[in-house]
Amino acid sequence: MIVGIFTVIFILLFSLQTSLMSYFSVGGVTLDLALILTVYCGVLLKGDRGIWVGFAIGLIQDCLSGSLLGVNTLSKSVIGFTFSTLKDKLMVIGFVPISVILLAASFFDGLVYYLILTTLLKAQIPFSFLFSTLPAYAMYNALVGPILFFFINWSKQRVLRKYPVLESYTQ
Amino acid sequence: MWRKKLSGRKNIIILVSLVLVSFALMTFDIRRSQSPTLFETVVMWVVSPVQNLITYTLDSANNVVDHYLITVGVSEENEKLKQQIDKLIRQNNDLREELRQRDRIDDLMEYQNEHQLKSVVARVIGRDPTQWARVVFINKGTQDGIKENLAVVTNAGVVGHVIQAGLNTSKVMLIVDGRSSVDTLFSHDRIAGIVVGTGMEFCEMKYVPITADVNVGDPIISSGLGGVYPKGLVVGTVISITKATQGLFQEISIAPSADFGRLEEVLVLLS
Repeated sequence: MIVGIFTVIFILLFSLQTSLMSYFSVGGVTLDLALILTVYCGVLLKGDRGIWVGFAIGLIQDCLSGSLLGVNTLSKSVIGFTFSTLKDKLMVIGFVPISVILLAASFFDGLVYYLILTTLLKAQIPFSFLFSTLPAYAMYNALVGPILFFFINWSKQRVLRKYPVLESYTQ
Repeated sequence: MWRKKLSGRKNIIILVSLVLVSFALMTFDIRRSQSPTLFETVVMWVVSPVQNLITYTLDSANNVVDHYLITVGVSEENEKLKQQIDKLIRQNNDLREELRQRDRIDDLMEYQNEHQLKSVVARVIGRDPTQWARVVFINKGTQDGIKENLAVVTNAGVVGHVIQAGLNTSKVMLIVDGRSSVDTLFSHDRIAGIVVGTGMEFCEMKYVPITADVNVGDPIISSGLGGVYPKGLVVGTVISITKATQGLFQEISIAPSADFGRLEEVLVLLS
């Protein structure tokens, strides 16, 4: 059942990310739903499940993206791993802590992409990318992400109320 | 105690395995041909119908916001007439949208005839799921004769090239992507240079000698070298020039002539 639920979530997530999100693009910067879900699962799923969700999200993102296969798998897996491991030491209640977590995750995601593409593929991404696009992307995720966090939480509560058997998968 | 140690070791093994798998994927991706893997094909096949549906729904919603919401609300008093008006507006909007779409396709066809290009009209159905790559999905694939490295244009100019062709959908890398490069010329004085993507909204032109006379607004066209883009396609215009005191080349920023924020239909050049 959990696999079915995640399959539906992934199909919806990537369909929305590739079509709807461009309408909410600000100055060429788009909200990264996949990153937000990875962080959410890392922080709020039981055990090391967040790592595997991060891995799956990254892999699907790579398959749909025109980027190098493996870049997002790497960044999302590490993000899932980090938050899955540190979740007991982190306070993830309230707007500010979630914002800070998303800000850090976004910076890491962008840095991995920049470093791998400029070193492995010798892509001509200007250095200014690190001081303009990346901070804008991180800020956008950090500002809007917490709202989505609360929305996912609210949806999760409703699903759990309907299917209490799923409670064993969450924190 | 030992359980904690074991769990810590397990975590490290998982992390190392994931990093290794990721790098294995990157190595595989660099070495392989451009055709999509089975997993990529399955993912694209699963996502594209929902993507298509959302794109069409959004287009319709846009249509309503653009034309319907502005006109409705004029007369609440006359329900019967309102219903009739609504119906007519809807019909009118559908027709207008169809007409606009036909206009856009006519422009593309005119461009195609002007340049005597063998091509296929495709619709943009989605964008890259990451912030970083500048890639769009189109609703045509190998079934329609699309293959890798075909140029994609609009009547405004060069859009990019096909990097992966699936059965019914394909991925197009835009010229603003950080990995894109187009061999180009200044249309007036024929000075050559390479237009490379920056991952942002503009491109940069490389290897233009410091002595070349370049001005803001100069148009740039494809040179025909490189094997992807035919000669003479409009690529963009110069928006800024920086001449360093040292160095052999100028730093030139280019505004692409195609509007990537509003790509709806594109032409894939088959030859």
